[in-house]
Amino acid sequence: MTPSERKREKPLASRAVQITFLVVLIVLWYLATTRWKVSPLLLPNPVLVASDFWTILRTGEFIGDLRVTLTELAIAFAISATSGVIVGYVISRSQYRIRVFEPLFSAIYSVPIILFLPLYVLFFGLGPASKIALGATISFFPIALNTIAGFGYVDKVLVTAARSMGASDVQLFRYVLLPAAFPIILTGMRMGFTVALLSIIGSETIASLAGLGHRIVHLAEGMEMAPMFAYIVFVVAIAAILNTLVSALEARGRRHG
Amino acid sequence: MTPPATRLRLALRRPWVARIGVIVLLLLLWEIAARWWIDPMFLAPPSRVFMSLSTVFETRGVPAALRITFFELAVAFVLSVVIGLVLGFAIGLQPFARKSFMPIVLLLYGTPQVTILPLFILYFGIGPASKIAFGVSHGFFPILMMVVAGVQNVKPILLTSARSMGASRWQVLRYVIFPHMIPSFFTGMRLAMTGVLLGVLLAELYVSTAGIGYFTTLFTQNFDPTRLLGLIAVLAAMAIVLNEIVRSAEVYFGRWHTD
Amino acid sequence: MTGEAAIRVKDVSHQFGEEGEARHVVALRHTSLEVARGELLCLIGPSGCGKSTLLNVIGGLMAPTTGAVEVSGKPVRGPMPHDIAFVFQEHALFPWNTVIENINLGMVFQGVPRAEREARARRSLEAVGLKDFAQHYPAQLSGGMRQRAALARALSLETGILLMDEPFGALDEQTRMILGEDLSVLLSRTNKTIVFVTHSLGEATFLADRVAVFSARPGTIKEIIKIDEPHPRKPEFVTSEKFTTIRNELYRLLHDEIRKTMAESGMGAATGSVL
Repeated sequence: MTPSERKREKPLASRAVQITFLVVLIVLWYLATTRWKVSPLLLPNPVLVASDFWTILRTGEFIGDLRVTLTELAIAFAISATSGVIVGYVISRSQYRIRVFEPLFSAIYSVPIILFLPLYVLFFGLGPASKIALGATISFFPIALNTIAGFGYVDKVLVTAARSMGASDVQLFRYVLLPAAFPIILTGMRMGFTVALLSIIGSETIASLAGLGHRIVHLAEGMEMAPMFAYIVFVVAIAAILNTLVSALEARGRRHG
Repeated sequence: MTPPATRLRLALRRPWVARIGVIVLLLLLWEIAARWWIDPMFLAPPSRVFMSLSTVFETRGVPAALRITFFELAVAFVLSVVIGLVLGFAIGLQPFARKSFMPIVLLLYGTPQVTILPLFILYFGIGPASKIAFGVSHGFFPILMMVVAGVQNVKPILLTSARSMGASRWQVLRYVIFPHMIPSFFTGMRLAMTGVLLGVLLAELYVSTAGIGYFTTLFTQNFDPTRLLGLIAVLAAMAIVLNEIVRSAEVYFGRWHTD
Repeated sequence: MTGEAAIRVKDVSHQFGEEGEARHVVALRHTSLEVARGELLCLIGPSGCGKSTLLNVIGGLMAPTTGAVEVSGKPVRGPMPHDIAFVFQEHALFPWNTVIENINLGMVFQGVPRAEREARARRSLEAVGLKDFAQHYPAQLSGGMRQRAALARALSLETGILLMDEPFGALDEQTRMILGEDLSVLLSRTNKTIVFVTHSLGEATFLADRVAVFSARPGTIKEIIKIDEPHPRKPEFVTSEKFTTIRNELYRLLHDEIRKTMAESGMGAATGSVL
């Protein structure tokens, strides 16, 4: 094998290791449940999980829970995105305000805000309102912080140049500030979306009557292992799809913005 | 003699004063809202919360629950560090291992772990073990990834230089790679603390018989916002203190970092 | 040439990659050279002419594709920390250690017994004029001082040979001047054999006993110029007619090679510190 062939083979080798790893894992899972007598109450048969997964998709029984979760997510994100950008913008307009509020927001965000879930449940009940409120609260911060960073740290030179050419406030905002801040704000939005999704599923798991998180808990309590695993796979897939979509939107926005 | 209004304005010039002012303002708003606008079943004013803090601690089982929760956090953190360090070195030192396994690690890191929280409880029971396990599962990722990054991005010139002076493989690891990786490691620890806090608290809130999750549920179901807020405040304070400790450690150990 | 050869380079060629690969490049072509003990030999040439490659081959950091190198009569098969010390352009000091810790570490790697380390470290710090900066971190030092520290580390290893790869390349002209003068003084005091890679004509003329001028890539030695002037070289040497003559000769030899290299890389104007 010439050195050049050897070089090209390398990326395939690590790919092979990854695939082998996954395959071995699935094989072990299968053997564990069929040959090695692991209790089906601990680990369901992967074949059953697969067929339940397919059934869920086919019958569309996921629609109800999915709708609840996505609605909560949409409303929470809408709230946090608008408030985050507006508040962030207002704060960014003055260096003093940035110095007062930015550390404050960072400090609050560093606390696990999920702690406040019981409070929201006490206040809003077990319905979607508490999930929306918590999701909006948590995702507000990365959006606001990134908006502050985006608008607040625009290169002074650009602002000076625009002003020297006679730009009005509106023009400055539209042609200088917004394009400069846009990519950073988009990143904040992506982070906010991800965090909102996680906190909504989390709060549905902990205290809810509906939604995907609740569905998994319900199945767990009923010890229905195979459908539970199927739903876990489903939720992971949904989260992956949503996150990929949002990341793609972010990338597209950064390129054209 | 400067008039008080001017003195106030001068004082407000300092951001930290203004920050405290904002917090005071918010507390005032909360106080007013809780006293006059909102049903006391749902929200308690901060003054009452503060006064009744002692009753929170006097509630039977709360101090023990706080101790247990702290214990869960500590054990989960230590385990995360150890596992993350060992795996990080194992993967990071061998380029082939890194190329093979890092994509898998990143994939796992990106999945919403909260979906398998019920599984953790099923497997580890409703006691502290499941809380610790869930905390570790959140906490070891940042350590692993930071150790791999720190091990991997040593400037080649430093390795060449050591080799030219006759360093053995073990000496390179001990005197070059290890010290280089330390700032990243401490950043990883800061992130790990955040993860451990999240994992342990999530698990506690989900189901708990002796940890603080038991009492948050209790206070919620009894519509006792005073004690609930008090408990949450204590937990938030604990989280802030723990975060500050690791953050200070990160700053201290990252002193020499020029890049 | 005085004394026996400290370094013998025997018909060394080196290429990167295989023929037919995109990254294939012949860095060095049939290069032979002998460096006498105690002399300072400069390698100078256009970018990519292989002078750094040759240095790495001499120092055992790289195995040449063909040919061999002998150092003090021994064949070079890998790093020889007891015979050869390096000073790189990027200072390669460990940023998490103080200056003195860096110097100590070099001796730890080489295997110097603990009892000797302190004395050696002190001596080398004095030799480069950094006695008061032992406890400083590299980040707290200027570029020139960092290179002094790197030099101190190399000196503390007490090797017979010093290989320096554009050590002053990242420094400003004034610092280079001072460090060059100091290096000349150092050379006169010790009897080290130094191979010194540089881009700067002035530096080569000031420091070297002999200058090996490289051709454009694939590099080989075009000509070796001898500079008969004892060390330590005085600053007045720089303004002397002898200096100017030699420097002009180097310029004449190099200019076409530099143009050739720039043309190959698609650049029109000649750049770089061709003084």
